[in-house]
Amino acid sequence: MIKLAGVSKTVMSGGQPLTILHPTDLDVARGRSVAIVGPSGSGKSTLLGLIAGLDAPTTGTIAIDGVEITTLGEDALAKLRGQKIGFVFQFFHLIGSLTAFENVLVPMELAGVREAEDRARQLLAEVGLSGRGHHYPSQLSGGEQQRVAVARALANAPPLLLADEPTGNLDSRNGQHVVDLLFEINRTRGTTLALVTHDRELAARAEMRIELRDGRVVARRGPGPLDGPHAGVAVEPIVR
Amino acid sequence: MTFVARMAVREIKASWKRLLFFFLCVAIGVAAIVALRSVVQTVRGALQDQARALLAADVVVQTNRPWDDQTLTKVDERLAEARVAARTELIETTTMVRPADPAKGGVRMVELQGISPGFPLHGAVVLQDGVRFRHELLADRGALVRPELLVQLDLRVGDRLLIGDTSFTIRGVVASEPGRRVGAFSFGGRVLVDRAELLGTGLLSLGSRARYAIMLRVPDDSMEQLVRTLRRDFPQQYVSVRSYRGTEDQIGEELQRAENYLSLVGFVVLVLGGIGVWSVTRVFVHQKVRSIAVMKCVGASSAQVLAVYVTQVAALSMAGSLLGVALARLALLAIPSRWLDGLGGVTPSLTTSAVLQGVGVGLLVSLLFALVPLLETRRVKPLLLLRDRVTAAPPSGAERRRLRERVVGRLRGADWTKVATAFGVGLALALVAGWQAGSLRVGLLVSVGFLAVALVLGLAATGLVRAVRPLRRVRVFPVRHAAISVQRPGGQTRVILIAVGLGAFLILGVKALERNLLNEFSIEARANGPDLFLIDVQPDQAEPLARFLEGAGLQSPARLLPVLRARVTGVKGRDVSLESFDDVRSRGSLAREYVVTFRDRLEPNETIVDGQFWTAAPATDVEVSIERSIRDRFRIAIGDRIRFDILGRVIEARVTSVREVEWADTRAGGFMFVFRPGALDQAPRTYIAIARGPGDAAERARLQRAAVDRFPNVSIIDAREIAKTVEEVLGNVTMAVSVVGAVAVFSGALILIGSVAMTKFERLHEAAVFKTLGAGTRTIAATMALEYGTLGLLAGAIGGLASVALSWVVASRVLDIRWDPSALYVAAGVVITALTVTVVGVVASVDVLRRKPLSVLRAE
Repeated sequence: MIKLAGVSKTVMSGGQPLTILHPTDLDVARGRSVAIVGPSGSGKSTLLGLIAGLDAPTTGTIAIDGVEITTLGEDALAKLRGQKIGFVFQFFHLIGSLTAFENVLVPMELAGVREAEDRARQLLAEVGLSGRGHHYPSQLSGGEQQRVAVARALANAPPLLLADEPTGNLDSRNGQHVVDLLFEINRTRGTTLALVTHDRELAARAEMRIELRDGRVVARRGPGPLDGPHAGVAVEPIVR
Repeated sequence: MTFVARMAVREIKASWKRLLFFFLCVAIGVAAIVALRSVVQTVRGALQDQARALLAADVVVQTNRPWDDQTLTKVDERLAEARVAARTELIETTTMVRPADPAKGGVRMVELQGISPGFPLHGAVVLQDGVRFRHELLADRGALVRPELLVQLDLRVGDRLLIGDTSFTIRGVVASEPGRRVGAFSFGGRVLVDRAELLGTGLLSLGSRARYAIMLRVPDDSMEQLVRTLRRDFPQQYVSVRSYRGTEDQIGEELQRAENYLSLVGFVVLVLGGIGVWSVTRVFVHQKVRSIAVMKCVGASSAQVLAVYVTQVAALSMAGSLLGVALARLALLAIPSRWLDGLGGVTPSLTTSAVLQGVGVGLLVSLLFALVPLLETRRVKPLLLLRDRVTAAPPSGAERRRLRERVVGRLRGADWTKVATAFGVGLALALVAGWQAGSLRVGLLVSVGFLAVALVLGLAATGLVRAVRPLRRVRVFPVRHAAISVQRPGGQTRVILIAVGLGAFLILGVKALERNLLNEFSIEARANGPDLFLIDVQPDQAEPLARFLEGAGLQSPARLLPVLRARVTGVKGRDVSLESFDDVRSRGSLAREYVVTFRDRLEPNETIVDGQFWTAAPATDVEVSIERSIRDRFRIAIGDRIRFDILGRVIEARVTSVREVEWADTRAGGFMFVFRPGALDQAPRTYIAIARGPGDAAERARLQRAAVDRFPNVSIIDAREIAKTVEEVLGNVTMAVSVVGAVAVFSGALILIGSVAMTKFERLHEAAVFKTLGAGTRTIAATMALEYGTLGLLAGAIGGLASVALSWVVASRVLDIRWDPSALYVAAGVVITALTVTVVGVVASVDVLRRKPLSVLRAE
């Protein structure tokens, strides 16, 4: 589902090149779940951004569901995201001027889905928010907003779900609820799940784990092919 | 497509309040255009409808010399061919009237009209007290007068009135009469008498000012033919032929110019609105960055996102334009009817064409101004959704730049789409300005000036950012942070400078022009200038009149000047050659009738600028001295020969000198053409006497009465009376110009204040962080005041200088009036601009200063 080969990211900072992600390989099969962990500034979000096609790598190639995305233009990427990738962010990022229902509707409208409204209602029900669709984000609690975000991410039934610190801004009860939701989706729908997190407990629920430090993969664990020229230095046992 | 439409509707529903200001900007601009244009169009329409009544006929054949038999025979011949339906004759002259009762001392100048049965052929003479007008009222020396005259001379209907030496009985009071041009200047109210009886008064001697007209009613289909034939028959200067269509056209042209000028002012207001639109849209896009990123993240293309916002802007512009039409309607209702009295009592209403133009221009301008900031949406990258860590420490400078580069795309790299769009927008604005001004040249001029000022302001912004760099190391917190703030990436410095600078430019420019216009109109009451002018003095009266005036208690001795009325009928010159009168006519005002004189010396208010003035010695050649404006306007030079027609006599004169007349000092009169004595000694001439009359009003009246009693054919122009009338007329003009200027200033100021206030949204967060870190309200306010004050001062100064240039160009190149830089005035404008920007900038952020920082940080 996700295939990275020699992907790195270097930016110019104050006239000096700064490598924020060193060449990395990654291969995540369809239906798997993977957690990307590491301290602040280690390159986790950069990696996630690259996978989502939100940023272009300096070297290497990225393929999502067999489609090579490194050569696609902005609009083609937007279309691909609309169809194949769902997003959940730490800060929810709902559109403030739209109701919960309308927020869920947007990706389907963009993709030209018929009966989008029925599906949006159904998705809101699935995340436990039927009856709250007419509320604006400012009228919802953090946990509720994040569940709307999850519903939105699922709108076009994407094969890949990306989550950036999905619980980072929630209390533990609400966080738990959202995490349960994400893994349930991974299990029942066979949606590939990639999430960035600080939370060890959350990371432990993923089948694979990649740990980054200073832009390098320092540990990886889990099923599937993990070797290659840029594989990590060591494999750390995961305590379940 | 449905996505775009739905998204636009939803967003407007949720965020229309934030765009309220946008909406108002468009509305004010459109209201200005629609209201100004409507007024002029209504007036024009009404006047054109009345064109026949204004002329009182379909066709008028007229001359200012008595008809000679040959001409009359020819006219009659043509009229017979043209199936003329009705015909009447008229004579008009200015003269003095006075009560026949010697106990009543007044005397007045009037426009005396001698009419024949059948007058008027169009329109109607309406009399007061329900008396119906019929020609019989004028029989046996009857006269109809305006109500003012009754009051002025203390007369009643039935009383007797002296015109010349003939006594007339007042038979009625004229409420309204046809044949009176709106806004036309006249020396006095009209008095109607029978034409034959006017001829009998002996007032019309050779050289008197009079208009002899034959008025015709002609079937529409033969009218053009008749006018053309008559014009061909009388190529000479002294017979003119006019049809009501020509009057229509003339009124049309004059008012078209007024309409275009006012529309350009309206357009300027709308451009100020456009600046507001630009500023709002910019802030709006910044606030929407996250929503845009989300949309892109879930699959929207840049084009779709752009379309969502363009649709919103279009919808709001439409709504704003409609509100503008409503405002214009209210504005028209609010116009005091007093202002419109001079326009023939027209009630202005919205015209379809004005509404369509206003809405069209409103939509166009707001879309154009919104387009460039909206293009920013294309550069928003969804990556920023992973990047903002509001709770994290503020990023360092380098990191911030890097982030910015990654979040909003590369800044330095030229965005060619944007450059091309900006260029296209500029071109489109130039075209719209040209359309509104009715002249592509003016439109281009306005736009080029506008862009030039914008460019200077943009460069000034860059310069300022560089200049304040050293201040970043200053220890004083407000100074240091004001400097940092000015340098803040995101272009706020540029936005304020450009918006305020252009605003100050346009507002001060309009005001400076207004001042120059009003200066031009203001009549200088000269302390020692002459104020009594006695005209139409016959040669044999010159001597007695001079003696009469000597004993009349004048403040300064009177001077008598011989005057002749002349027309230029040809020029043989180095640069110009005008063979016939038709050629002369093609030179505009050169073809008008000039009053000329002859004398052997210069007056104190004259200086020779070229050639040499003649000596008193006799000469064989006919010589003429021309005024400088004749040389400059018609390119007539020393040595050129000018052919004159002086009451039927043709005289060719050589130009031997060019004089400059100090027009402000007209003690000795001002003449365009002065002849060397000799050639004109025998020509039919009259005299004018110039004097400074007694200061006391009663004494003045007595003097005038005594003069008219003795010289009944002489007309007296009392400059003090005229000045009153002129002041009234100019008062209206002044009022109109000031109102238009005030509308521009008021709406412009409103829009600019809003634009500056809008920039506060960009600093909410920063102010909150400063407060969290321990900065006091006063420190933050001082920082803002310093920053806004500097920007306001710089913007005001550049705008002010540019406005001086603007007023100069328009005054000297377009309006052809004296130009005064009004330096103090502009300086005051600059100071006011700086203060306003400072106050608005700080006050708009008061809620930021008051609010608890957490609420702001949370709201992020």
